[in-house]
Amino acid sequence: MKIVIAANENHVKSDVAAHFGRCDWFCIFDTETKKAEFIANPVRNNIEKAGLEAANFLINKGLSIAVAGRFGAKVVEIFRANNVQMIVPESQVTINEIIKKM
Amino acid sequence: MARIKKTRLIQMAPHFCGFIPQGLQCKGGTEVIINFEEYEALNLCDYELLTQAEAAKMMKISRPTFTRIYESVRRKIAKAFIEGSCIRFEGGNFDIAQWYKCEHCKISFTLVENAPRVCPLCKNSLITENK
Repeated sequence: MKIVIAANENHVKSDVAAHFGRCDWFCIFDTETKKAEFIANPVRNNIEKAGLEAANFLINKGLSIAVAGRFGAKVVEIFRANNVQMIVPESQVTINEIIKKM
Repeated sequence: MARIKKTRLIQMAPHFCGFIPQGLQCKGGTEVIINFEEYEALNLCDYELLTQAEAAKMMKISRPTFTRIYESVRRKIAKAFIEGSCIRFEGGNFDIAQWYKCEHCKISFTLVENAPRVCPLCKNSLITENK
């Protein structure tokens, strides 16, 4: 199972980013191999539809859970249609804290 | 101690952040902030044309509370229009429909089809649905 966490920086002590589409990095964590991989968000500087394109890009990588501070309306729609679970932490947490609980 | 405010249920947050007036330079500090439950009240009452009683039921609040929120958003919009201020959508005390909450992990989340109704982090089934 693959988990995608929107991150501000490319290490596991980074905070979870406040917005899904415009975050700088995505942390892809595989629950089976327990490995975290960081990729830069390819669409972060898009004027329009950053969230939508980021969502499609990640769905192609086969994610099943997404974590971010906020999801836009279009992203919620596409994630619901593709059976992706969304998680929004209510307080500021680091990627490490989320990964540890998975 | 004052009574804790009830959270208001909204169906969906607006997908844009606000409005700016044309032909004016927006000064800082003059903007009007509309919170999400006020946006939802206006949406239900004046866009989807529900009665206030029906709209109050949808937001899980009492009819008088709904009227208060609705009144407040109308005044804010009037203020922004007359004074030419920006409008920003921000904050509020609300839950989004069809999302779940885990009190233990302090997270909100959605569930996928055919999955067990448990929290994804602590695997506890003590979760509440916002509906």
